[in-house]
Amino acid sequence: MAGQLVKEWAGIQQFPAATQEKLVDLLAKLKNQNVDKLTILVMGKGGVGKSSTINSIIGEPVVTVSAFQSETPRPVMVSRSRAGFTMNIIDTPGLVEGGYVNDQVLDSIKSFLGRFLMMKTIDVLLYVDRLDAYRVDDLDKQVVKAITDSFGKEIWHKAMVVLTHAQLSPPDALTYEEFFSKRSESLLKCVRQGARISKKDVQNFAIPVALVENSGRCNKNEHDEKILPTGTPWIPNVVHAITNIALNGKGGILFDKKLIEGPNANDRGKLFIPLILAFQYFFVIRPIQKQIRYDVARETKPSWA
Amino acid sequence: MGKGGVGKSSTVNSIIGERVVTVSAFQSETPRPVMVSRSRSGFTLNIIDTPGLVEGGYVSDQVLETIKRFLLNKTIDVLLYVDRLDAYRVDNMDKQVVKAITDSFGKKIWHKAVVVLTHAQLSPPDALSYEEFFSKRSESLLKCVRQGARISKKDLQNFAIPVALVENSGRCNKNEHDEKILPSGTPWIPNLVHTITDVALNGKEGILVDQKLIEGPNANERGKLYIPLILAVQASFRYFFVIKPIQKWIKDDIARETKPSWD
Repeated sequence: MAGQLVKEWAGIQQFPAATQEKLVDLLAKLKNQNVDKLTILVMGKGGVGKSSTINSIIGEPVVTVSAFQSETPRPVMVSRSRAGFTMNIIDTPGLVEGGYVNDQVLDSIKSFLGRFLMMKTIDVLLYVDRLDAYRVDDLDKQVVKAITDSFGKEIWHKAMVVLTHAQLSPPDALTYEEFFSKRSESLLKCVRQGARISKKDVQNFAIPVALVENSGRCNKNEHDEKILPTGTPWIPNVVHAITNIALNGKGGILFDKKLIEGPNANDRGKLFIPLILAFQYFFVIRPIQKQIRYDVARETKPSWA
Repeated sequence: MGKGGVGKSSTVNSIIGERVVTVSAFQSETPRPVMVSRSRSGFTLNIIDTPGLVEGGYVSDQVLETIKRFLLNKTIDVLLYVDRLDAYRVDNMDKQVVKAITDSFGKKIWHKAVVVLTHAQLSPPDALSYEEFFSKRSESLLKCVRQGARISKKDLQNFAIPVALVENSGRCNKNEHDEKILPSGTPWIPNLVHTITDVALNGKEGILVDQKLIEGPNANERGKLYIPLILAVQASFRYFFVIKPIQKWIKDDIARETKPSWD
């Protein structure tokens, strides 16, 4: 990446000691498996907490966030290193705008990845949505479908669902665990439909779900770590899930020219053109020519000649 | 009315004080409009719950039609336009919802409207106080309503749409009198009913949903009377400016015709 200055992952210092330890352990685990770099792509609808989640993981406000409007007009890559390990996280604009999937945004993401990741891989996809959303509808399916069409179904081997606003008070009559369970299942079902993952293929695509609470008001444990309502420190938890995906044995999504142009390009079927022309010549034109010559040969002299 | 999953049914249950309409955290339990009526000391409250107006990315005309048919011959005294306080984007979809309501019931409905923001017991985003967040969120949504309803800048004072906060969860904080309160300390149920009362007594008329309103200015009926008129105009135009001149030319040609050489 020419001109890309990779900064030291200074943000890790501002995490409480207990969190830092866990993160350092996870990085060591990756290095043990000869993984010294991870490229993480973060996508989802607008306003769900993609940028906030990135700021939380990096440990500094690297990308701008506003409560009322999108502050991510184009994709941006944030890179941080520590002890020989480099993490690249790519923030993207929301894929949905006013009721439909925005193809322009999708194209800008693909061309960004083409510029900065040519011949490199996406190792993990974070598909972000809110925990405290109460409907999953066709629009969500369209988002998943658009991601699948752009990057191929294999991306779901390297994906995890991230649910933000995790510090939620569940609706009446449901415990937090029940609500989380139903919400996850609902969204995972939508992902399977949008990505066309068949029932028998489901075990092959075990997409983990991680909870995230980006607010400064996130509750903390006795070690000052930000925790979920279940008590789990969520930052190491998310990084752990990311690590597991990186080491799950499935290949990352290689970004080559073919992927960018995609199966939906006008090239598809181009090879058939000469074939079809040949077919038309031999099976349509020649017989007709033959038939015409035959008619001409059989012509009797006209009565008026 | 409002989009799906914002808390319309929950709000109705809170006001009535009983679970009159079914609510689920994960799907719509309101397949069609339903009216709940309660009386007390000679006063009758009719609240009409409706299905969400948005389905998978677009406004559902089908839902709108069922609502209009349900409301036939009723007068709407107050419209509660419901959305979540804790939503972080207002987009074209919201404008489409407002536009659909405006097209169906007329712009005047916004004289009788209250914006209701649910999930009021929210922890605001970092760096914003609750009041700042509420203020910006309301302004954002009201701006969207004005755009969707085509309320011009000079007409603004005429359409002062109040905003009320609502927290339907059983975990809503309570004051020393055991009343459910907002983070600001205000008991929200009397506050909402007070706002509804103000709108009812604001001097503007309720919206009578009659046959004409339902068929609306968007109906195929519009301009039907003009069809015979337009046909007549076209016919006369063709007769006087096209047919008659052509007939005249034909007659002229015939008159000037010389005898053929082969005769």
